[in-house]
Amino acid sequence: MAENILVIGGGPAGLHAAIELAELGVNVSLVERDTFFGGNPKKFKYKYLFPDLQPAENVIGELIKGAESNNNIKKYLSANIESFKEDGKKFSAVIKSSTGSETKTFDSVIVATGFEHFDPAKDSKYSYQLFDDVIDIKDLERMMGEGNFTRPSNGKPPKNVAIILCVGSRDRHVGNQYCSRVCCTVSVKQAIELKEHFPETEVYIFYMDIRTYGFYEDLYWKAMEEHDVQIVKGRVAEITSGPDNTVICKGEDTLLRGPFEIPFDMVVLASGMEGGPQSPEMADKLGIELDEHGFLKQANVTLSPFKSNKDGIFLAGACTGPKAIADAIVEGGAAAMDAYIYAKKNS
Amino acid sequence: MAKEHNKNSERPVAEKGEHIIARHLIDDDAIKEEKNLVIDGVDVSGRWNTFIETRVDSEFDRSFFDEIQKTVVGSRINRCWQCGMCTASCTVTPLYRRFNPRAFIYMMQLGNLKLLKKYTDVAWRCVGCYKCSQRCPKQVNPAEMMEALALLIKKYFPEEIKSKHQLTIDEEVKVIYEGMILGHGRLDLANLHTSAMRKMGKTTELMSDKDERGAIFKMMKDGRALSVLRLGKPHKWHKSKDAIDNYLRHTGTLEQENN
Ligand code: SF4
Ligand code: SF4
Ligand code: SF4
Repeated sequence: MAENILVIGGGPAGLHAAIELAELGVNVSLVERDTFFGGNPKKFKYKYLFPDLQPAENVIGELIKGAESNNNIKKYLSANIESFKEDGKKFSAVIKSSTGSETKTFDSVIVATGFEHFDPAKDSKYSYQLFDDVIDIKDLERMMGEGNFTRPSNGKPPKNVAIILCVGSRDRHVGNQYCSRVCCTVSVKQAIELKEHFPETEVYIFYMDIRTYGFYEDLYWKAMEEHDVQIVKGRVAEITSGPDNTVICKGEDTLLRGPFEIPFDMVVLASGMEGGPQSPEMADKLGIELDEHGFLKQANVTLSPFKSNKDGIFLAGACTGPKAIADAIVEGGAAAMDAYIYAKKNS
Repeated sequence: MAKEHNKNSERPVAEKGEHIIARHLIDDDAIKEEKNLVIDGVDVSGRWNTFIETRVDSEFDRSFFDEIQKTVVGSRINRCWQCGMCTASCTVTPLYRRFNPRAFIYMMQLGNLKLLKKYTDVAWRCVGCYKCSQRCPKQVNPAEMMEALALLIKKYFPEEIKSKHQLTIDEEVKVIYEGMILGHGRLDLANLHTSAMRKMGKTTELMSDKDERGAIFKMMKDGRALSVLRLGKPHKWHKSKDAIDNYLRHTGTLEQENN
């Protein structure tokens, strides 16, 4: 008899896990809270993915197609886990969706509930939502996805753009002490895209550290060497309104030792990732642990990163911490293997 | 060349370091030169014994860091990662660019007293608005680090402070300080600062546009002055006030006339 495995979350990690398991002949139930699969990349219409700037559709579209065309995957959209309990070594769950409630027994479970973009409105110093021309990386990603690179306030090309790193990350005041890992790379990628679209626009990146780790460094070099993107060392502390419909970034140039207040046509906040409300909700419902950063806790970050603290429940993707789409997909495959082994042993 | 002549010879004597090419690149402090010097009967006065100290830092003096970390106000010195958000939000920096909380904290971390010494004239300029502490992503509490800095400057460079800034008003500042704490339950450093300036007779500076008055106008304009007022007294202040009052009287710190 085939194994039954529950996958919660239909983003890159969950989709990949579901497809891999289905290929092994497992009966997969894929539960997604939204009306569509694809997670945040789909929701916010990411356009190009780093590091190779391939269209996001190539990746996300493929995953969605793979899951949708596979008959071993039972798909639930606009769905959630209404109740969940252990049943010996197995699990019993009530899945509620638009087509009603269904009670099922599973041999193992993969949680891939992802992350939420940090909402910069939570940190008042950046004046997000106060000024039209202060946007964040997900806004810009969506705008670029729609082919729109102009200033939200007047639809004109920006003369200069400030990209501010580490918004909502690495800051005790907002409660997120961790680095969100991808915003540096997304930002240099967006800087390149902006420059490719408007070569005359001056693009500045305000940074404390630039963490384009591994080969992502290539994009950072490219932004500077091929597109003259200028980096300025210092975290911006305030954004206020400026003359002629500009916004002023106030910070310190820590290398030249002195404060600056410079007007920009457009400001892009590199807001980070958060565990979102779904993480504590899942922890609560499934009886697994949350870590101190608000993400789901791995049994052992090095040795068994895809295991939760409860046998038979596995974790994949950004629900355990900020990560790139490529890493989330890798983790989906790895968690699928762990969940399959567990199911095989106990069914 | 200066007209002064060496007693022992007829050679004219130059100003210290005057003969150095690109003299403007070298700090006064770094030039060692004896006007009159005879070694083994050979006259090596003036330029013949000029010595320029190295301009390369040759050590990080961690003992200074340790000292600051032990103080209550400086205990979080190890947290600072030099992002510059304190300086960016500081009320004083736009008025005195040389007053730079971030840079001061870095100098303190590395124990660079040589550099700190150059800022004895501005290092105590903090007006205690705590904007920096509100912004600091690491909760270093830079406002209080500036207090630690002022204390250390006072300890290590007492002569500089006395000669340059006539800060000999400890007693008077103490009186203002106590009055403020007992009266309002909060330390208003801006008030303390202006009172101290007044006591020092620095009224011109206090009223000049670009200095203190500029800062005060700025704080009124952006609402900070108001928000300080709005803070009000701490919860159940009368009880704490009595306790502090008692304690100070008990220890003999509080003078009768402060009642
Ligand atoms: S990836 Fe870069 S921008 Fe994002 S939190 Fe880390 S250092 Fe900051
Ligand atoms: S408390 Fe002092 S150092 Fe901090 S912002 Fe105010 S004036 Fe500047
Ligand atoms: S804001 Fe905080 S961490 Fe940043 S430089 Fe100032 S004291 Fe250091």
